Order: sequence, then C-alpha cells, then structure tokens
Amino acid sequence: MKIKINLLKSDKMLNFAKKIIKGGWKNFKRQGFLSFATALIIFVVVLLGTSLFIFEGGVKFFSEKIRDKIDVSVYFKESVDRETILDFKSQVEKMSEVKSVEYISPEDAYAIFSKSHENDDFSRSLQAIQVNPFLASLKIKTNFPEQYATVTEFFKKEEVAPYVRNVNDHKRGLIIEKFSKIATNVENVGLIATIILSIIAIIITYNTVRLSIHSQRMEIEVMHLVGAKNNLVRGPFLIQGMLSGFFASLVAFIVSLVVIFSLKDKILSITDGFDISSIYMTNLLLVILLQFGLGIGLGLVSSYIATKKYLKD
Amino acid sequence: MIEFKQVSKDYISNIGKEIKPALREVSFTVKDGEFITLCGRSGAGKTTILKMITCEEKPTSGSVIFYGQNTSDIKQKDAYNIRQQLGFIYQDFKLLPYKTVFENVAYALEATGQDTKGSKDEVMKVLDLVGLIRKTNRFPKELSGGEQQRVSIARALIHRPRIILADEPTGNLDPYHSRDIMKVLMKINEAGSTIILSTHNKEIVNNIKKRVITVDDGRIIRDEENGMFFI
Repeated sequence: MKIKINLLKSDKMLNFAKKIIKGGWKNFKRQGFLSFATALIIFVVVLLGTSLFIFEGGVKFFSEKIRDKIDVSVYFKESVDRETILDFKSQVEKMSEVKSVEYISPEDAYAIFSKSHENDDFSRSLQAIQVNPFLASLKIKTNFPEQYATVTEFFKKEEVAPYVRNVNDHKRGLIIEKFSKIATNVENVGLIATIILSIIAIIITYNTVRLSIHSQRMEIEVMHLVGAKNNLVRGPFLIQGMLSGFFASLVAFIVSLVVIFSLKDKILSITDGFDISSIYMTNLLLVILLQFGLGIGLGLVSSYIATKKYLKD
Repeated sequence: MIEFKQVSKDYISNIGKEIKPALREVSFTVKDGEFITLCGRSGAGKTTILKMITCEEKPTSGSVIFYGQNTSDIKQKDAYNIRQQLGFIYQDFKLLPYKTVFENVAYALEATGQDTKGSKDEVMKVLDLVGLIRKTNRFPKELSGGEQQRVSIARALIHRPRIILADEPTGNLDPYHSRDIMKVLMKINEAGSTIILSTHNKEIVNNIKKRVITVDDGRIIRDEENGMFFI
C-alpha cells in the first residue's frame, strides 16, 4: 500500500516536472525577443567572466615573470677560485629562502655579454683589448623578492665578505621591492576588478530578467486567478531563465574558443610567451563549469528573485 | 453558499493618504445555482465585491464566508484553494498571450490539478461548446474580441467550478457578441452553476429576469428577484 502511494507520488512529481519543463521551453521559444534579450545579457556576462578568468591567468603569468627577473647577483674577487665559490653556492642553496643558485664563471659572463651585444661597439672594443673584465658570480633567486635581504646579509658576514667584491647594493634592493610591489598591485587590481565587474554583471542580468518578468506580471496574476499554486507559476519562469543561461553560455563558449585560438599567435609574440590557449585548454573543464554554471545559475537565480516579488509565499 | 456580512472596504489613496470607502456594510447571500446580477455605475463597488470573493481583496471590516470559510483567514499563498472552485470571465479577457486557445483552457485544468490523460478530450468538448473547435491552435491575438471572450468562458467552465464570476464580460463586445455570451452564461446556469455577473448594461440586466443587486457608492440599494436595471 505504502509502495503504491509512493509510486503515485513520484509519478505525480514526474508529471509536474514534465509540465514545468514543457511550459518553460514553450515560453522560451514563443517569447523570442524577451528570451533573446535575456540571453544576450547573460552572454556578455559569461564572456566577461571568461575574460576575467583569462585576465587572472595573465596577471599571474606576468607577475611570475616579473618576480622571475628579480635576482641577487654576488660578484667575487678575481683571486677567489672556482671551488671556493661553489662551496658558497652549496651553502646558499641550503637556505630555506633560496629558490635557485646559478654559478656564472668569467667565461660564461663574457659569452653572455658578447651574445647580447653582438656586433656593437662594446663588443668590438672588448675584443680589441683581448681581456675578460668579467668576474665570477652567483645569480641567486629567492622564493619571495622580500627575502633578498637575508641573502645579501649572508655575503656581508665576516668570514665571507673578504671574498666578495660586490653584492647587489641598496639601490638594487629598492628596485626589487618596487617590482615586487608592482606585481602584487597588479594582482590586487585584477582581483578587485574581477569582484566589481562580477557584481555589476549580476546586477545587470538580474535587472534584465526582472524587467522581462515584470512585463509578464499580468500573466502571473491571471495564473493565480485560475487557481495555480506558486510552484506551477514560478517553475516555467525558472526553466525559461535556465534555458536563456544555457544558450548564452553555449554561444559564449564557442565565441571565446574561436577568439582565443585566432588571437593565440599574436598574443604569444606580443607578450613574450603568454599562451592564452594553454590557460583555456589546461583548465577546459573548469572553464566549461564556470561558463555554464555562471550562465545557468544567473538565469535561475535572477528568475527566482524576480518572480518572488509577484508570488507571496 | 457565499455570505457577505456587513462588509466594508476602504482604500487609502497614495496622494494625501485619504481614505476612500469602496464598500459600506454590504450584506447579502448567494445560494447555489443562483444567477445574480450586480448592477451599478462604474466605481460603485461591483468589482470590489467580486475581488472579495476571489481573495484578491480582504474586507476592512465584516466578513466574507465562502462555503463556511472566512476568506479573511486565508493567506495569499493559500488563496488557490478558493480560486480553484471559481471560474472567471473578465471584460479584458485576461488570456495568457503566449499560450494557444487550447493551452489557455487546459491551463485551468493543470492549475486545479485535474489534468489527466482524458483532459485533451474534455478541453476539446468545451471548446466545441463555445464554438472554437477550429481555432484551438490560434493565439489570443489572432482572435476577435468575441472569440477571446469565448475562450475565457471555456477556461472558466473546464474545471467545473461551483461559481462563475463574470466581471463586465460584454464590456468590450458589440451587441451581437454580447447576446451570444449572455446566452452561453444562461445555459451554464441552467446546467447548475452559480453565476455572479457584474454589469452596467441596462439591456442585459432587463433581459435576464433574474436576481439583481444594485450597488451605488459602495452600498446595496436594491436586492430583488426578477429585478430590473435601476440607477
């Protein structure tokens, strides 16, 4: 008996769901202009969300790049042999703040200089004097730019200082701090821009859906007058909102894919290695979830809030 | 049975917060199977009386008893219980513009939870009754005023309500269509449904020869069996 009642209940629920979905789909099709207007706004929001996601990736890429360029170079006196420097290298490597240490011999330094100054006056005059003026050095990268001070302190110690000709001076330190601040600021600005634009996007979508439902308030009243319960009135509006969100997300997904792949090479060459498509493709599942979740979610939540005004519970 | 007991309704105007009485101590009873015409000038209070029955409005004082239930005790979200027992016909038809003729009528069945596998046949029967069997797939905007009103009648009938409320149903129609609509309402009443018709059309009131309640300035000034138009 109980099973029969439960079956009847679930059958009723299924019929109700079918009715709601069918009603929502018909409304979506028949109210072409309203559906299009809502979907267009959600499309813009989803595209904006996708752009912010890529922007975040870009900010990370560039701030990493800025931080990667920051290092501490320690130059040793000419008399210091290679083994001593390598000994310092292994000591420095053990420091928790240090990310990497690279030994650059005078020959390596000469080669690097020659390569970057190929065929210019500096290179030619260097060749003319037949002398290698470069010193052996250690190029040290820390985990965080602020940690460079700890490294320089190490080379100012009594037992190390006599071997050292020059460590990055205070001026260099200021530059490092400045770069670090810029990178952090860019990240913060990105985050704030994301939050502000997201709020604006949500408000715009909500208002569009609200206006669309407001224009149908008389119909909601009629549905009530013929005895429809709130769920029967609200359901098709929610489905309609979700459908607008779904189609908006689908178009946004295709458009963003096309745009990203057509701009990929240009961005790669302008930005020195920022591969926009790899951010998109390596996070494809997340991107799809973000786009469809944002689109369908916005359509659903906006419709729910907008109908709530006319459906007093 | 519906009972109005000393019902008063005041509206507060937005400008100046002035109190405007719409009904003043109105009392009357509607018995099952009656055909009642509420007659009076525009703004006399006829529509407010109908809105009291549909729970769109609540009395400021007094009570409206709908088959033993005091409508003042019913919350808005539960008003569907009352409305499912009513059928509505309005001057402006109040059809759902994005639904076809068939869907508009079937919606009343869905709303009252009476839609079954045989619903389609029932809807077709009612549409046949109002002469719209060939226009089931049309949208309201593709119909004439008279046809739209017939859809509205079909919607009011489909779930076999206890009472049908008709608020100026002929207000937007020409005399030919008005007579047509009134014939349908009379037939429905003969079949056993209670009809409450609100109108200020003298010809209609005088032709019905049923109970007439005359409302003026929010008060009932006459309540007569086989009444005539009097203002």
